[in-house]
Amino acid sequence: MKYDDIIYLLPLLSIGVGAIVLMLLSPIKKFSIDKLSWVALFFLIVSFATNALNFGMVYSIAPYAHLFSYMLVSDTFSGYFNSIIIAGGIVTVLVGTHYFDKSNMLRGEVFSLLLFAVFGMLLLVQSNELFTSFIALEIASISLYVLIGFQKNNVRRIEGSFRYLILGSMASIMFLLGVTLIYAGTKSTNILNIASYLSSHKTEDMTLTIVGGTLILITFLFKIAAFPFQNWSMDAYEGAPLPITAFMASTFKVAIFGFILRFVLVDFHELKNIWSDILFYVAILTMIYGSFLAIFQTSLKRMLAASSIVHTGYLLIAFVSIGSIGESAATSIIFYLIAYFLSSMGAFGMLSYIASSDHLRVTYEDFRGFSHVRPYMAAMMSIFLLSLAGIPSTIGFIGKFYIFIGAIESGYTILAIVGILATFVSVYYYFKLIALMYFYPSPEMKGKIPPLRGIPPLVIGIMAILIIWGGIGNTLVSYFPGIDFLIDTAKFAYQSLFMG
Amino acid sequence: MITLTHYLTLTGILFSLGIVGVLRRKNLLMLFFSTEILLNAVNIGFAAVSKYYGDLSGQIFSFFIIAIAASEVAVGLGLLVLWYKRSGTIDLDSLQMMKG
Repeated sequence: MKYDDIIYLLPLLSIGVGAIVLMLLSPIKKFSIDKLSWVALFFLIVSFATNALNFGMVYSIAPYAHLFSYMLVSDTFSGYFNSIIIAGGIVTVLVGTHYFDKSNMLRGEVFSLLLFAVFGMLLLVQSNELFTSFIALEIASISLYVLIGFQKNNVRRIEGSFRYLILGSMASIMFLLGVTLIYAGTKSTNILNIASYLSSHKTEDMTLTIVGGTLILITFLFKIAAFPFQNWSMDAYEGAPLPITAFMASTFKVAIFGFILRFVLVDFHELKNIWSDILFYVAILTMIYGSFLAIFQTSLKRMLAASSIVHTGYLLIAFVSIGSIGESAATSIIFYLIAYFLSSMGAFGMLSYIASSDHLRVTYEDFRGFSHVRPYMAAMMSIFLLSLAGIPSTIGFIGKFYIFIGAIESGYTILAIVGILATFVSVYYYFKLIALMYFYPSPEMKGKIPPLRGIPPLVIGIMAILIIWGGIGNTLVSYFPGIDFLIDTAKFAYQSLFMG
Repeated sequence: MITLTHYLTLTGILFSLGIVGVLRRKNLLMLFFSTEILLNAVNIGFAAVSKYYGDLSGQIFSFFIIAIAASEVAVGLGLLVLWYKRSGTIDLDSLQMMKG
């Protein structure tokens, strides 16, 4: 038994232990929400630090291989995704504590559930085996169902949670059926074994495996809210408390993409082109439908939820082009996930901080003349919206740039055109808010706007700076790690997939 | 002689029954029953394939599926109780009040 393998499991272990410790601590009256949030933060930061130890190298290790029988893997790819997911957890705790404190959601179990969700996502990214990934997916999903419906005196929360639960359990059954078929076809559920089976057999002999893979792909499309399966996301995002919406919209999507990229790139390497046709139309319809939804929303939360469907569409463009340009498409997906994570987490976080004191400020109209009252907050919100729309000098622009270039290179020019049109449309619903904040006289703001003090605005401010840094950093100070560093690491992550 | 094909056919039949149940039933409790049928259909498939290959891992998986199904239904029934207290009904159509 090698003891140094434990290093690769520490991020996972720390979160798991943290979740259980928090669960035991939360019924004790002496621990207030504030104290529990520090405990949660401690475990998250330990996990982040141990994960960062291996950053910057290309490695692929199956920790305690004979104990876990190659079900877990730790490589640069999982390390990259882990750091985004854990960062998502940290930001949610930092920004959300204020919200949990103010709303009467006063229960410490929130943090325990949040850590369980993070645990499930980390396991999902690290799993090298279909059944492990199913269990990880369920750990994350069930924690999220409970988190959405946690505030049980609010009827919308229960309803959002209920819809997500019913449809989500259907999706996970599809996943299971897919695993059964792949198991029947290849005698294994290990991703590497399936890959070697697929490369040694003819396409005609593996109908079962292809059908199974398609069922798993359907689950994936459901979980990222792509076109035919997008309806749950509006209800679940609308029903959930704002910090949880932020967590779901940005972090969960990252974890799902982490798993499916590993699955498709390693396993169905030779068969990627089978799905390109379906995904082509799915990507177009997702972008069109999401744009239509987003235009007609009056509530900002629903607008951001709808725009997250559009962003799924952009990611699917790159996913389609994986078939012909594997490496650069995968890299652009990984990079875009970071860009989207920063922007949407920032926008939702800002909204949750503003909405935490009074629950009024949720529609466009409530932000009329906001910049005259809170200029810095309005500036940060504008940065997030600019990045979501993909305006140059923000990280969102560079992410979109790589995706569209990749689509044109691989011959899917139509996808790039639809994507750019969707971006034009998105400028309308993002800039509507900026215009309302800046160019209208300020009537009396109703309710109380929280001041620009404390930890949440600081965290949100740092994210705004990171977005700008990602967009222009390298041209200012060339030797400081910026965008090139992120892209290089994304390339390492891609390479580490094929070392095992 | 009962072969793998028979078991997989049974899986298919049960799965279709479950799908029909999920699509047609308006009672939320019945909906949960249908998802249980779906999960058990998959269970039979796993166990049969595992027996066919002489590989035990499939049977271990079906144990895990039972545990996961139980936890999912636990959350679902908890929500169902909350919903019943709120609205006094367990009809699926009562969930429509939120405009989608």
